[in-house]
Amino acid sequence: MNYETIVIGAGLSGMMAALGRAERGERVMVLAKGHGSTHWAAGCLDLLAEAEDPLGAINQLVQAKPAHPYALAGVAALEQALTRVRGVGEAAGYPLVGNAGRNLLMPTALGALRPTAFVPATMVNGEARQLGDGRPTLIVGLHELRDFFPPLIAANLRAQGYPAEGVYLELPPVERSHDFSPVVVARLFERPAFRAAIGRQLAVLVRKGGYARVGLPAVLGLYNAVEVVRELQALTGALIFEIPTLPTSVPGMRLFQAFEQALTKAGGRIQIGGWVLRGEGSGSHLHAVFSEAASREQRHMARRWVLATGGIMGGGLRAEHTGVVNETALGLPVRTPSGRSDWFQARFLDEAGHPVFRAGIAVDAQLRPLDAADQIVYTNVAVVGSALADCDPIREGCLEGIALATGFAAGQL
Amino acid sequence: MRTIETDVLVIGGGATGTGCARDLAMRGIRAILVEKGDLTHGTTGRYHGLLHSGGRYVTKDPQSATECARENVVLRKIMPHCLEDTSGFFVTTPWDDPAYGDVFVKNCRLTGVPVQELSVQEMLRREPMLNPQISRVFEVMDGSADSFLATRSTALSAEEYGAQIWTYHHVVDLVREGDRVTGAVVEDLRNGERIGILCAYVLNAAGAWAGKIAAMAGVTVTVLPGKGTMVAMNHRMVNTVVNRCKLPDDGDIIVPIHTVAVIGTTDVHVPDPDVYGIEPDEIQFMLAEGDKLLPGFSQYRALRAWAGVRPLYKDRDVVNDRDIPRTFKLLDHAERDGVEGMLSIVGGKWTTYRLMAEESVDALAKRLGNTRPCRTAEEPLPLPPTEHQTTFRPPIRTTGPGARVAAEVEALQRAPLYWLGKHLSEVEREQSFADLICECEMASRSRVLAAIDAGAKNLDDIRRDVRMGMGPCQGGWCIYRTTALLFERRGEDGLSQANSNDALLHFLQARWKGLVPVLWGDQLRQARLDELIYVGVLGADRLRSIAEQGGGLVTDNPAVATEYVKA
Ligand SMILES: Cc1cc2nc3c(=O)[nH]c(=O)nc-3n(C[C@H](O)[C@H](O)[C@H](O)COP(=O)(O)OP(=O)(O)OC[C@H]3O[C@@H](n4cnc5c(N)ncnc54)[C@H](O)[C@@H]3O)c2cc1C
Ligand SMILES: Cc1cc2nc3c(=O)[nH]c(=O)nc-3n(C[C@H](O)[C@H](O)[C@H](O)COP(=O)(O)OP(=O)(O)OC[C@H]3O[C@@H](n4cnc5c(N)ncnc54)[C@H](O)[C@@H]3O)c2cc1C
Repeated sequence: MNYETIVIGAGLSGMMAALGRAERGERVMVLAKGHGSTHWAAGCLDLLAEAEDPLGAINQLVQAKPAHPYALAGVAALEQALTRVRGVGEAAGYPLVGNAGRNLLMPTALGALRPTAFVPATMVNGEARQLGDGRPTLIVGLHELRDFFPPLIAANLRAQGYPAEGVYLELPPVERSHDFSPVVVARLFERPAFRAAIGRQLAVLVRKGGYARVGLPAVLGLYNAVEVVRELQALTGALIFEIPTLPTSVPGMRLFQAFEQALTKAGGRIQIGGWVLRGEGSGSHLHAVFSEAASREQRHMARRWVLATGGIMGGGLRAEHTGVVNETALGLPVRTPSGRSDWFQARFLDEAGHPVFRAGIAVDAQLRPLDAADQIVYTNVAVVGSALADCDPIREGCLEGIALATGFAAGQL
Repeated sequence: MRTIETDVLVIGGGATGTGCARDLAMRGIRAILVEKGDLTHGTTGRYHGLLHSGGRYVTKDPQSATECARENVVLRKIMPHCLEDTSGFFVTTPWDDPAYGDVFVKNCRLTGVPVQELSVQEMLRREPMLNPQISRVFEVMDGSADSFLATRSTALSAEEYGAQIWTYHHVVDLVREGDRVTGAVVEDLRNGERIGILCAYVLNAAGAWAGKIAAMAGVTVTVLPGKGTMVAMNHRMVNTVVNRCKLPDDGDIIVPIHTVAVIGTTDVHVPDPDVYGIEPDEIQFMLAEGDKLLPGFSQYRALRAWAGVRPLYKDRDVVNDRDIPRTFKLLDHAERDGVEGMLSIVGGKWTTYRLMAEESVDALAKRLGNTRPCRTAEEPLPLPPTEHQTTFRPPIRTTGPGARVAAEVEALQRAPLYWLGKHLSEVEREQSFADLICECEMASRSRVLAAIDAGAKNLDDIRRDVRMGMGPCQGGWCIYRTTALLFERRGEDGLSQANSNDALLHFLQARWKGLVPVLWGDQLRQARLDELIYVGVLGADRLRSIAEQGGGLVTDNPAVATEYVKA
């Protein structure tokens, strides 16, 4: 089958780009080894962490740093991308709420407060300015779920001035399971009897403690989380909110599913499980890529390509002990900060971040990859998301923002 | 200043000091052991993990070889739960002098190190990944040893016999009255309190730091700190210890221990046992040496690197550093320097720690008029609460030089030897799959809680007890979980949420240090995922303002933080 566009990588940036191209009527395929950082991250949209007003700060950033991915994609692309992603959530019954002009402060599974611009509707009642209204919050979890510990969360919230208690609920009767990962518990929440049993326990606690809000791990169903929240609110009379757990990220999976639905509706295809090994081109035109399949290499042809394989975490970039960083799918030139000895800070949590994670692919204004002499490598390839150079999306707190803005831009080119 | 009194003050909570405390207590001598970090904070927690057969020393250091061979058998009898009977090969690779094989066998016979030659074919049947160009193979009684568990068990026995073990207590000064050492001043690193200890004898078992301790009494003991670096690979590509059959050199041993294979080591003189770094070329060198033993070795995922310092004792009459023997030496400062009240035990191996303790305590007992015999070679060590007794006994070795000893140990009907499937079999028996706090190392909730209850003073202490955070992800999931459990368990005893936050931040940093030298490829990818978890999901970086030392947890006191510096 011949595609007009093949997107390599199924993270947020790849899905956004694929959706854009498919909605323009192109035959599109997303080809990926596995899922992207949606499945590991908090499932919120981080635009820029260290700013009250992320959009305002991004406007300044693009002036100051013309090579930053936000500057390459443009602020307009970011704003349109946000509109589009909210539409995608809405269509899937999973609205994203927030404001690009004002960061929300969301409690984490440690009870720290983390800034982010948009959160799923299932989380919004936990926003710190609401928690600060003086009425007590109850944080609840299940002993069996080892990725969420209410007492520590509540204690850290209290230490920051938010009245909170943390307790464990009793696991409603379920058949014996070998594990209670976030995904397994989310599946349990899809069952009406399970929800009802949790709701009964919560109602008692809320009545006794006079809690205005109840925070639960973000495992309230895989497909109908908004409904589950509504139902628990009705049962308890308190406002319910989710807090992201350790990975696997159930809210991230929901976001991915929403994109999957939108893309399928627009006629696009997703093929997960193929690791792209190399490309084949002539001059500055990429004709085909080869992916590793069960026993033989598979050849894929397209007119246009989007590389959305992520940075070092996504596997799109791979660092060797020799101090070289390679781009794994097409062998594109990578901009790497000096030698291996300068890749890391002495402190893991150093605010400046580790220089190696700023490694990436340099691109022109149309996101086309450049070599060391700033010449375009392939005219029909756009690079998006965390694979781009000159940005540390985790430390800058712009992981989703960069992915959406560049992915959207690549979808419109 | 509070002052207490005892018979013997032991300085150093490594294998040697802990062994001394046990021996003293078993003979009814009152003893206090002080250690500035946790037990095994020094070289004992940063060694290679090899229970020596003695083979390595048969030519250059025959006395060490004989001591190792004897103690190897003793340790199998007293601490089977800490040892894995891996057996060991000495192999002649194309890079080694083919003539050394015959010298090696002859010297093994002379020093009493059991040895048996195997065919290369038999070697490849047992260890198919080894280099097929190896020309000769000799099997010896090497094993791998968990020094964390062994030291814990030894300390537990010492306490059962009445010794006091004070971890996170730093000796800041020795008290000398005229020609006699009469005690020490120690500082509790958790709260800064200073305590005076009056004693009849100080036993200096401070390893590479012994010179620093001796200097506090005005005595010169020259210990040359020789740093050795090791790299753990995320795979047991061999199940047998593999040594190059040549004179001891760098990067020539691979030790399979628990879930990993460790290659080591280097030997670099450093000016101070507290200040050293791991150099990138040391790592490259060892990976390249690994390829010679096992083609493709360097392509496996490196998990972590660490370094320890050898306590090489330089006698006053030795001029050339190369002639320093690897055996241990008991220094009687009354005879040697005219200073009463202090002995120093220096040098040696982990494998010979018990013998070192026996000789030291023999000398002390004589002075104190105690005539009870040493029994540390007969009585087995107790199991700490973090270790579950297994019912499954791994098959015992029936061939090779270790077969006779294996049968002897089995006949004693003690705890079975450690084997790789131990923790999995426990998890299966208890059906605790769903309750693993550290999946990589199969540390169940009950074992983590036992480590917390045993008095852990930070997450690193728990790590030493149950290996949490030592697997491929280096703590990605379990650091969060263990912090929360620590808070839940100790909250009522005054551990605040701020102390717990500090413990988490401290341990994240402690894990990071040993990762940096090996961060590339998959391990770098993993580190980035851990960063996403701790920064992007949990917001741990935002806890600093509500993190605080205390609650009985030690954190960044410079006395226990080894400084890794870039050269
Ligand atoms: C790289 C390397 C690899 C090795 N591999 C092996 C091997 O595979 N097999 C083997 O048998 N042997 C091996 N050895 C040797 C073995 O590790 C050591 O001989 C042994 O661990 C020494 O134990 P120790 O108790 O004497 O010293 P340590 O374990 O260093 O104990 C001394 C303790 O004293 C404490 N201390 C220091 N100053 C103070 C103070 N002021 N107050 C309180 N406490 C203080 C330190 O914190 C330390 O914990 C290796 C050594 C090195 C360096
Ligand atoms: C036989 C053996 C097998 C091993 N196998 C594995 C394995 O499979 N996987 C693995 O990951 N590792 C393995 N290790 C290595 C182990 O994880 C440690 O790296 C090693 O014990 C050295 O400890 P460390 O890295 O904490 O040392 P360091 O990083 O030097 O830390 C030393 C001590 O200083 C303290 N400290 C550190 N930072 C600070 C600070 N900022 N403030 C105050 N105190 C601080 C820590 O609490 C620690 O006790 C093995 C070690 C041995 C001996």
